[in-house]
Amino acid sequence: MPCILQRRLVSNTYQNPRPVAGVLTRHRLAYTGGNDTLVRVWKMDKGSDEEPDVAYEAGESITAVATGEDCWLSGSEDSEVRRYGRNSTALEGLVTGGNGAAVRSLAIDPKGKRVAVSSEEPVVKLIDLQDTLKVSLLSGYTKCVRKVTWHPSGSLLTTSGADGKIIVWDVSEDEPKQEKVIEGVIPAVSDSEAPEFVHDCSAVWHTSGQHFYAPTRTHEIAIISRSSWTKTSTLTDDSSLGDVTALALSPNGLYLASASQAGVFIWSTHNRRVLFRYVHPGTPNATITHLAWSPSQNLLAWTDTEGILTRWPQPVPASSPDPVKLSSVAAVTTVPVKRKPELSLFDEDAADDGKTNPEAEPDVDLDNDDWILDDIGIGMDDEPEEQRSKKDGFVKEMVSVTKAQPPFQPGSTPWTNKKRYLDYNMIGVIEVTDQDTHHIVNVEFHDKTTRKAIHFTDHFKYDLASLGERGALFACPPENDHPAHVTYKPYGTWASQGEWTYELPKGVRAVGIAAGGPRATKSQRVMSDGDIQGYGNVVVATNQHEITLLSGTGIERISLGLDGDYVTMVAGTEFAFVVTRDGATTIDGSQNLMGTIWEFDDFSVLQKQKLPIPKGSTLKWVGITEDGAPALYDSNGVLYTMPRFRMPLRASWVRSLDTNTLERREGKDESYWPVGVTADNFMCLILKGRQEYPGFPRPLIQELPIRYPFRRRDPKEGPLEEHFARESMLLNIKRDALGDELTTDEISRRELALDKELIQLIQNACKNDRLPRALELTSMLHHTASFDMATKVAGFYHLVGLQEKMEALKEDRMSDDRLEIAREKRKRWMGDSDPVPPPRLPEERSSTRRHNPFQDFGPPPAISRPGLAPARPGDSHRASTMTSSRHAEDSEMHQDSSPAGKRKRPEDEHDIRQSLSPEVENASKRRFSVEAASKPTAGSNPKASE
Amino acid sequence: MALPISLRSSVTPPELELIASEQLIEIIPLISMDKTAFISGAYGPLRPPAKCRLPIWMATNLKLKKKCHIVPPEWLNIDFLQDRLTRETSQPEFCAMPFRFAEVAKIILDVASDDVENPDKIRSLLKDLREARQAKSREGITKLDHSELTLPNLCSMEINEIRPFFIRSMGVLTQLVREPSAAGDI
Repeated sequence: MPCILQRRLVSNTYQNPRPVAGVLTRHRLAYTGGNDTLVRVWKMDKGSDEEPDVAYEAGESITAVATGEDCWLSGSEDSEVRRYGRNSTALEGLVTGGNGAAVRSLAIDPKGKRVAVSSEEPVVKLIDLQDTLKVSLLSGYTKCVRKVTWHPSGSLLTTSGADGKIIVWDVSEDEPKQEKVIEGVIPAVSDSEAPEFVHDCSAVWHTSGQHFYAPTRTHEIAIISRSSWTKTSTLTDDSSLGDVTALALSPNGLYLASASQAGVFIWSTHNRRVLFRYVHPGTPNATITHLAWSPSQNLLAWTDTEGILTRWPQPVPASSPDPVKLSSVAAVTTVPVKRKPELSLFDEDAADDGKTNPEAEPDVDLDNDDWILDDIGIGMDDEPEEQRSKKDGFVKEMVSVTKAQPPFQPGSTPWTNKKRYLDYNMIGVIEVTDQDTHHIVNVEFHDKTTRKAIHFTDHFKYDLASLGERGALFACPPENDHPAHVTYKPYGTWASQGEWTYELPKGVRAVGIAAGGPRATKSQRVMSDGDIQGYGNVVVATNQHEITLLSGTGIERISLGLDGDYVTMVAGTEFAFVVTRDGATTIDGSQNLMGTIWEFDDFSVLQKQKLPIPKGSTLKWVGITEDGAPALYDSNGVLYTMPRFRMPLRASWVRSLDTNTLERREGKDESYWPVGVTADNFMCLILKGRQEYPGFPRPLIQELPIRYPFRRRDPKEGPLEEHFARESMLLNIKRDALGDELTTDEISRRELALDKELIQLIQNACKNDRLPRALELTSMLHHTASFDMATKVAGFYHLVGLQEKMEALKEDRMSDDRLEIAREKRKRWMGDSDPVPPPRLPEERSSTRRHNPFQDFGPPPAISRPGLAPARPGDSHRASTMTSSRHAEDSEMHQDSSPAGKRKRPEDEHDIRQSLSPEVENASKRRFSVEAASKPTAGSNPKASE
Repeated sequence: MALPISLRSSVTPPELELIASEQLIEIIPLISMDKTAFISGAYGPLRPPAKCRLPIWMATNLKLKKKCHIVPPEWLNIDFLQDRLTRETSQPEFCAMPFRFAEVAKIILDVASDDVENPDKIRSLLKDLREARQAKSREGITKLDHSELTLPNLCSMEINEIRPFFIRSMGVLTQLVREPSAAGDI
């Protein structure tokens, strides 16, 4: 229920029934006119006993008033449009007139250059205000035109005719043309004496320019989208009865005021619900015919058919976003908010204070200052410089502020055709459909085996969501009867006990949320009464400059303060990556964003770094790669990852992919909307043309191979070098996660694959006679066996000197073990900068993962046949049983990579060697290990014995 | 098989479809599965939402169980087919198409028409293409010559269509041409 506000209103009575005009300007003036042929100019800060200034010139009833940059106009039934100087009631001249047709509506375009005049004639005139002889005629109606309004850009004009047609005109060029005729929306009223004729039927453009509002014949308010010119939704409320008689949009586009017999309603343009309501106490036959918001104050004023001008100060309570100032919260949803607010009622130019005398009205100046501060967090459409300086002469020339990007939820899109994505990531998609009174939320997963899709009806209108590994998180803004809250729904326990709600107190709202957690190790489709590995972690950022960390079951753990405005965040397995704005944006165009990684375990800062976003660009997306590293994507189309994030405060942002240099981009106009990052691929949705967000139906995820933006264009060596750098980085991530062990089977297998590529590079270098390069590449090799290959390559090209040097390198490598060096390096970093190991999870007891013979690609386990072993002198029997027992141990290791399975180093070395070439020299290796086992004294450095 | 003799010498279209099913195609799986060994090779692992290459028979099997989306090959779209159709109708020779395009297109349109953009238009384009190519191959048969035998860019289904007639007529032609020399030998 909307709260019914009973407030003290200020009413001024004046003796002109059927007043038709009420206009507020930023200097707190209101212009009214009516049947008594007078235009009164009211000062809004005076009380109800004010005596207004009066303009007497009109011969018949005043029907329309409009204000422009340096003048105001009045239209009268004597067919004349008169022009007056600003802040005065002295007549300056006639704009048009003399044809005897009563003027019905006036509208000055947002730039203040032209005025659209509609009269009893079926033609709308477009008159240049500087040169009133320059007139273009818009013809297309058969009856008179009741209202004219401008699009905020000034390129479109909407006219509402008495025959019920709304015509949209494109007036950007010299020759105006009809863009679209919209029929069946507004009521047709042909009799100019009918009481309905004075109802305001104008098409009120939203400040974003994407849609307009119009009262319908069915007593609703229709929203008509600019892209399709069709009705996308309606504003209805049970308490709003009867014809909608007036409409007005608040200067920042957040609120829409409407009047009907039931009173004055203030709607939120965001969720299309009635927020506030003023019950009309007046006589039943007094119809409100005009509503107007003050462009500079929180003030709503209206005139009615009884001839009363009523002012409603503070129609929007202080607890809600201001109707004038462009607030950050507002900008998240109402996309490109124009800096120059468009006033609705008669659509005159409201931002007309540029030329006011600053000494006389210091409050204007203050307004502007306020505006700069509030500006942090509004839409990013920068206004052209000249426009800005023209308007506010003396303040902003000194400070050219970079628009700060608003907070956003990675993976979410704005509403398009009543649908939007709340989250789209590598786990799944949350789609929302707007059903006017409620939303339908649809959660679907890419992997249908691990998680079960769900959809539910949402009466809270969740506007933030995050799909985590272990659960889905939703947050809704506060509405009349309920405060803001956050709901977490762990998977596998849909609609059962696992779900919890975290209520936020009054005045607090969530600005960002993130759900994180360890990767699922088993299917989460099955219902269970609890998961031994927990439900992950939940992070909530609120408008109180803090983030609150909660556990997956809703235990509040800590509230961390943020040293700047929150921008966005994402939660990984064991950390939350939060982007804040460090102070303000800089004058030269940088967003000045800071990325901080907090651990979930002990809430310590793992990394704190400025984001590498160049000046003039913005952050588009943040995410977590498949390896658990943070990643981000900027508006330049560059993907950055932080591979070595486990090293406290040591990591750096690596440029992983520059989408501008992609081959597929050649000759195409497309952009990429990130979804996720895997080891080799950048998963994204490809958007064609100027499209900014993915639409419906859901597009398929495309894979772009990740290529470090290296510049070498050699067709053979370039890709190999790039791959080597990328793969080495991946190996480093894997090593960081391992703690002290530093190697596994998988790592050594990948190292071997890398060695093969290095050998190719060495061969290429030898062929081109670039010996130092070959030598450097040799020193990069991982395994000692690979050195022999390199030597062979050098031998093939008869490079004996190189061969010798390679041998020397090999000996050098064998004398000091590279893993030992790496381990020592890590020891030096010891103390508080130890790489942080990934969290160890308790093993699932009822693990469904069992050995599957079809999915085992390893060599079959060796069968010990002592009888068939070649004869050896000495204790051959004992040695061979030892070998087989090691094999058994190896296969155990394959299945169970538990931390308990730590082993000593010399045995690790054997593993590497075994996995190096499992098919080659199997027998000799076995012999070798036999020797090693039989000679335990040489075991400390088995390679030396080879 | 109760087929007329003339057809028995040729492979049936379903059989060709079966052969084409061995080709690999990209899918976006909806289930996760480790790398799995089959007789024809090991496929996988399936890790949604990453793409994966599988044989068509496996893709159709998964698709029928709603466990994957099939990514249509790059030639199965309106732009490509339209371009080929105009070339086919304006040039005398056959234009290059994937060898088993008819079979693959049929399987995908039958099983996964919801994954293809504008399947009806594609169907009609494929039909037009087939008719244009059929007309050419019929025209080519009238010019059949025993000594020359080049069929560039003819696809498997089209070869199969003319196969019974072609084999017989080549046999007859050879006999007709060879007869004088054979008689001379005697």
